[in-house]
Amino acid sequence: MDELPPAPVVAGTSLDGTKLFTITAEENAALCRSTGVEPAIDGSAHPIYYYVATQVAMGKSVAGICETCEFDVDDGPMMGSSGVRFAAPLMVGESYKVTGEILSLVRKLSRKLGVMDVLTYRLRLHPAAGGDAVLETDNVWVLPRKELAA
Amino acid sequence: MSYAVGDALPPFVVTSASPAAMRDWSVFLADPNPIHLDVDVVKAKGLGDKRINQGPMNVAFMMNMLLAAFPGARIEAMDSRFLDNVYEGDHLTASGTVTAVDGNHLTCEFQLDVAGRGTVNSGTAILII
Repeated sequence: MDELPPAPVVAGTSLDGTKLFTITAEENAALCRSTGVEPAIDGSAHPIYYYVATQVAMGKSVAGICETCEFDVDDGPMMGSSGVRFAAPLMVGESYKVTGEILSLVRKLSRKLGVMDVLTYRLRLHPAAGGDAVLETDNVWVLPRKELAA
Repeated sequence: MSYAVGDALPPFVVTSASPAAMRDWSVFLADPNPIHLDVDVVKAKGLGDKRINQGPMNVAFMMNMLLAAFPGARIEAMDSRFLDNVYEGDHLTASGTVTAVDGNHLTCEFQLDVAGRGTVNSGTAILII
């Protein structure tokens, strides 16, 4: 590992969004049905919007995050894990905004993938009107560094 | 309704991972990554010969299983690990087990299996019932 060049220093990079994400009834229904269920009748949105809303409304695209990590998105970032803590359910018709940041980028040597960078970033979803976050999510991506392969 | 450690949750089955759903999710996620849309791109990248499901959709299948098992419950926390890809046409089964009961909080382990290939996602969740 000592001879590997260090991973880019990106921890702390802001992922705060500038646009709002609104969960519309139409899209929630389409999303639910695409997964084989009907939308809830209590006004709550499908909980997978934790991922959808934060990805769409964060301050960088997936390609943009990869670029920050000096990684070409065409080289195939892979999802490693995703965790979420909800403080409240997500609601249809509500608008939300995103705050967040990159937590770490750690270079590792994998027997399966060779050299890779493990990216961890945290996003929070807030009501557009303000107030505490309704959820916090940590996502881990694996960025295979083909150019550093032995 | 009472629950106990070791209770198996009813499975949630997707008979065939759908390219049409992948097209929908590329819009939901604002992510036009062609590995979800174009078989030729998947082949060119050496990733196989079928379109690849978006990872968050696989998480949604596991959420559907959890919420169907506990009507009226909501997910308080969930951690998912991505172990392998889901490809178009795959037959999927999400399943789970209660691992802890603490008042109105249930902890479950869950997984998503592809027929013939094994587990592609797994994790834990805490639900409020």
